[in-house]
Amino acid sequence: MTSIAHTEGISAIDVQIASLKQGIIPWRYLRNIGTIGLDGQIKLLQSTVAVVGAGGLGGTIIELLARQGTGHIIIIDNDRFAEQNLNRQLMSTEQNLDEYKAIIATRRVKEINSAIAVTTFLERLTTENAAKLLKNAQVVVDGLDNLPSRFAVEEACRGRGIPYVYGTIAGFSGQLMTIYPEDAGLSCIYGSSDSLPEQGIEVKIGNPSATPAIIAAWQVQEIVKIITGIGKPIRNHLLILDTIEGIADRIELSG
Amino acid sequence: MSPITVRFYSLWRQYLGIDSISLDADNLEEALAQVEEKFGHRLRDQLKADGIQVTGKIQDYSLMLLNGTSLRCLKQTDLRDGDQLQIFPPATGG
Repeated sequence: MTSIAHTEGISAIDVQIASLKQGIIPWRYLRNIGTIGLDGQIKLLQSTVAVVGAGGLGGTIIELLARQGTGHIIIIDNDRFAEQNLNRQLMSTEQNLDEYKAIIATRRVKEINSAIAVTTFLERLTTENAAKLLKNAQVVVDGLDNLPSRFAVEEACRGRGIPYVYGTIAGFSGQLMTIYPEDAGLSCIYGSSDSLPEQGIEVKIGNPSATPAIIAAWQVQEIVKIITGIGKPIRNHLLILDTIEGIADRIELSG
Repeated sequence: MSPITVRFYSLWRQYLGIDSISLDADNLEEALAQVEEKFGHRLRDQLKADGIQVTGKIQDYSLMLLNGTSLRCLKQTDLRDGDQLQIFPPATGG
């Protein structure tokens, strides 16, 4: 694939898409096809997904998006790895402490699938720069660690008319849902952005290794559903996963 | 008086050891007062035992929805038969 791309002067993603259109499955996607089909894989390779935050949730999301075969990933994070990230942030290692998370994540994507295009921003997303950072994104996924930024992302997604996959964690529990521009969204849970709780309980109880991976994996499944059109995204419902009790609750939201 | 259901989720359910209860109340203020009287002390003690200091009433450190809408967004606080008050801890980590 890579040599064809070089010879023909086109991107490796375009070669993969052309191959799939001919019914020829690049071996790396073989185990995807049974669930999402050739058309689903083509849609994913043609898609652009923005990941805001490359820490606990974001690192796992980026890893899975790369393996799933997402054509273009936008990675937004201005933070660097620290020792306390090692328990749960998949891309942190003893060797890359103090390095930018987004740079490490970009490198990781290229190691997994060199065909994937990555746009990297070493910035913190705000209401002021959201339009610039999320330009071209078809879906935005949440790897954030605070509520004001989540409200900024939701507002930006509404402005751009694209879905936002919300996720958050605390201890052995996590929450997620997909918010389309016409959905009620975060205000159903938190009220207006003027009255947000400063921090959640994770500040005290922390986040163990598995919790971000569980929520992140489900967020990626939401992205796959949104892009391929297979299945139904979790909309207008908040999914709360309690991994200690082994309970998944769905709260129907109304705005 | 309207019979309503109060449901606890996630860590609050674990701490209180209860999934849901039924209450009779005419309005939200009455319901919240009953929730605080029945569970406030127990929840604060459990949190304290885990090193988490909270202040105020349950509604001050929890997320609370009435039928899927944040109490912070409600314009009227009368209750109707079958209403559900949903209570769980805020989580902002990633």
